[in-house]
Amino acid sequence: MNEISKTLAPQTRRKLKVKPTTTGDKVFSGVTSAAASIAFILVTLILIFLFIRAAPALQNQGIDFVFGSEWDPDGSGVMQIFPMIWGSIVIAALGVVFATPMAISTAYLIVFVMGKRASNIATTLVDLLAALPSVVLGLWGLWVFTPVGEGWGQILNQYFSWIPIFQVTDVAAGFRSSPFIAGWIVAIMIVPIITSVTREIFSQLDRDLIGGALALGGSKASIFRQIILPTCSRGITGGVLLGVGRALGETVAIFYVLDLSFEINWSKLLEPEGGAVASLILARFGEASSEEVSGLMAAGLVIFFITLIINFLANGIVARSKAGTR
Amino acid sequence: MSNFLERPSVQPWARVKKSQQLELILASVLPTVIALFVVNVFGVHGAFGMITVFLPLQILAAGFVGVRRFGKKGFGDSLLLVSTISFAALVAVLLLSVLYSVIIKGFPALSAHFITQNNVYVSTTTSLEYGGVGHAILGTLLVVVLATLAAVPLGLAMAVFLTQSQSRLTGPVRSFTQALAGLPSIVSGLFILSILPFLGMERSGLAGAMALFPLMLPTVARVAEEALRLVPADLRMAALALGAPNYRAFFQVILPAAKSGVVTAVLLGLARIVGETAPLILTLNANVSTNLNPFEGGIAALPTYVYGFISSGYDTSLSRAWGAALVLVILVGILFGLARVFSRSKSLKTKSSSKKKGNK
Amino acid sequence: MSQTTTAATMHTEDVSVWFGQRQVLDKVNLTFPSHQVTALIGPSGCGKSTFIRTLNRMHELIPGAGLAGSVFLDGGDIYGEDVDAVDVRINIGMVFQKPNPFPTMSIKENILSGLRLSGRKINGADEIVETSLRRASMWNEVKDRLNDQALSLSGGQQQRLCIARSLAMNPKVLLMDEPCSALDPGSTRRIEETIKELSSQMTIVIVTHNMQQAQRVSHQTAFFLADDNTPGGVVEFGPTEMVFKNPQDPRTNDYVNGHFG
Repeated sequence: MNEISKTLAPQTRRKLKVKPTTTGDKVFSGVTSAAASIAFILVTLILIFLFIRAAPALQNQGIDFVFGSEWDPDGSGVMQIFPMIWGSIVIAALGVVFATPMAISTAYLIVFVMGKRASNIATTLVDLLAALPSVVLGLWGLWVFTPVGEGWGQILNQYFSWIPIFQVTDVAAGFRSSPFIAGWIVAIMIVPIITSVTREIFSQLDRDLIGGALALGGSKASIFRQIILPTCSRGITGGVLLGVGRALGETVAIFYVLDLSFEINWSKLLEPEGGAVASLILARFGEASSEEVSGLMAAGLVIFFITLIINFLANGIVARSKAGTR
Repeated sequence: MSNFLERPSVQPWARVKKSQQLELILASVLPTVIALFVVNVFGVHGAFGMITVFLPLQILAAGFVGVRRFGKKGFGDSLLLVSTISFAALVAVLLLSVLYSVIIKGFPALSAHFITQNNVYVSTTTSLEYGGVGHAILGTLLVVVLATLAAVPLGLAMAVFLTQSQSRLTGPVRSFTQALAGLPSIVSGLFILSILPFLGMERSGLAGAMALFPLMLPTVARVAEEALRLVPADLRMAALALGAPNYRAFFQVILPAAKSGVVTAVLLGLARIVGETAPLILTLNANVSTNLNPFEGGIAALPTYVYGFISSGYDTSLSRAWGAALVLVILVGILFGLARVFSRSKSLKTKSSSKKKGNK
Repeated sequence: MSQTTTAATMHTEDVSVWFGQRQVLDKVNLTFPSHQVTALIGPSGCGKSTFIRTLNRMHELIPGAGLAGSVFLDGGDIYGEDVDAVDVRINIGMVFQKPNPFPTMSIKENILSGLRLSGRKINGADEIVETSLRRASMWNEVKDRLNDQALSLSGGQQQRLCIARSLAMNPKVLLMDEPCSALDPGSTRRIEETIKELSSQMTIVIVTHNMQQAQRVSHQTAFFLADDNTPGGVVEFGPTEMVFKNPQDPRTNDYVNGHFG
């Protein structure tokens, strides 16, 4: 009977029709493909239209729009947002410093310690935290948290003012409306995203690896330090970056708990002044002239551009490290 | 069936026994209680109190329990457990504080007329016996429903593309969808503002809905994609093998099987946008009375209502803000609770071979 | 609705299959005469499941799928220029390894699902349901619970429901990809009986790992084999009795006698 031919004679591959044939399928595939392009179209349109409206301001201000520190649209017409950009960065950094330990701890407990029911409940609560409207957090931040954070700030200043970041120019001015307080509010908003990314990464860890390490006599603490954290560090970094993206875009809550100022506050975390690009837009928008609107559009463009890059980066890292831990 | 295939599962983090659980809980709670007591009775406050009273107590308790359970090795383990529990507890405290404040401070404002009446004759000092957020609730519903009408079908279509297409573009499509998920909400508002003149439109309910659309879309697409992915590929194959065109396989087999997941996607999408504030401040004109015309006139929404009353400095106004915030949180809570209920009923994860009694 | 179907003859000419750049089957030539059951046997990874999927154009649904050669149904190439895959699948039914009834539908709806899914009008639904279930020899078991959910059935019943679902389409050919591999011996026996009965009405191709099953149900057998890193192919093809009792190729002999695989 037939033998398997060891030498493969070349054959031409047939073209397999993957194209839809019926009208219904043509419509279906057309609609879904068109819908799939919406995300790309939206991102492009946002960049284009913000740029069109921002162009006059960008043209007038030049590169100093990003690197200068004066905002006087109605007088000299100068619009420069560096203090806001720097402020956003400071607040995001603070948010990450506060949120990351909370998020990793929560994810650790959910994945490795809690039973199934408890971890379900905890996951739900964290998701609920993510769903809280930022205006509600602003309200809470201004009237409930600010007095508490003020107390914390006072103590930090009292005992640790030998560290430059905890110094203030005028103790009598109080410790409200500081980047420190805004950082806490932002931390609350980004804990859920970092937690959920970390949770996923943790739960994809090879359990046999951990089991093996335990069998070798490793303690949980040493396994956590030497195996879990190093293996997952990339994924966690991605989650933290996603948190940074969210923090940079946060508007309303920061608007209420921070005093915006165009004096650059380089590093005094407890000083009652700071900056946030998104909050500036909200603060100025109401009574802005058309020139100033253009400047605010430019500010929006800047914040969008930064968050876009961070998000692409973060999602890439998260996707790759998810594939890596498998 | 096929029990012999199941590997003995490794349980690295074995459960803690009941008696030890008690010890653990005591070790976690006792230092806090003692610290609170010391703070209240002796007036040692804040960070100073934390450092001198709470932390040493906590570490002592943790070490004690750890060494009792595992000997020397247990010290580090218990420290890990205590520190993670402390951090997670901080998250819980912050969340509960927000919920508690909103409920306690919002509740006094709540009344039948508060959720039905509008704000026409209300000034900053008008007593809470008059006026309410009825107009804002209706406005929120209007704007949110309009956004949903666009975002749900398109988000679902995106999910279909991401789960079914053999195209090489699924990767980039997913990347852009994720990038859109990180769109700062104020930028969405600015974007709609920037295109309004080109569309010949004014700030209006429709503009507000348009600003919410890009925020809702990625959530719907992502959750719906997860839901569609949970439908076993077998089912689609079975449908196609019976001679179904793709679209019938989707509408008659896949979509019904993923129904609860798709409903979850819609609910989570709604929860995502119902509290959005910044885009609506930019795209809606304020209004104190009810307006259900999405094409012209000002429209109030719950978040913008809260925003407007937060910092006026008058007690009654602040009470209105808390009241409206409570209504908003309740709304989010309902959407969220429903989403949980629906996502629980993802019964279709069960393989077709499982012995599930599906008689209804 | 008539019980008898016009069975059809199928044959393949030089069918080769690729996944991406990797060739998994090389020039398979087989003939499936009408009213006959053909068993495809061979060790795992020899390409027999892949091959059966080329017979009703399910193979092309896998990303990167490639194919050369032709598959003929009553003389017509099912991969022809103006042939719609949907029509091919209507004429050539398929039963999968794992039972996959539609979980959101009742037993009755599952039987009618093929007709609905392919967009055909349904005349005399009750009759179609009864005929199909009788042909799959499960009418008596389920006639009182037609509106129950399909998932309330046992695994074996679910698989026979899937067979009945395919039969409702009146296919000329029925392809079965290891239909009993997930079932207990009792269910397996009942399905084998069903296959024997159906062979008088249609052409059947069945992939199986089970040598005894191949001998019990099939008229002719094809033995597939793939050497390391080479595409699979047919080593031996002939009447079942010949292949098992008096194989021409030593490798077939080794396999059917359990020396490897």
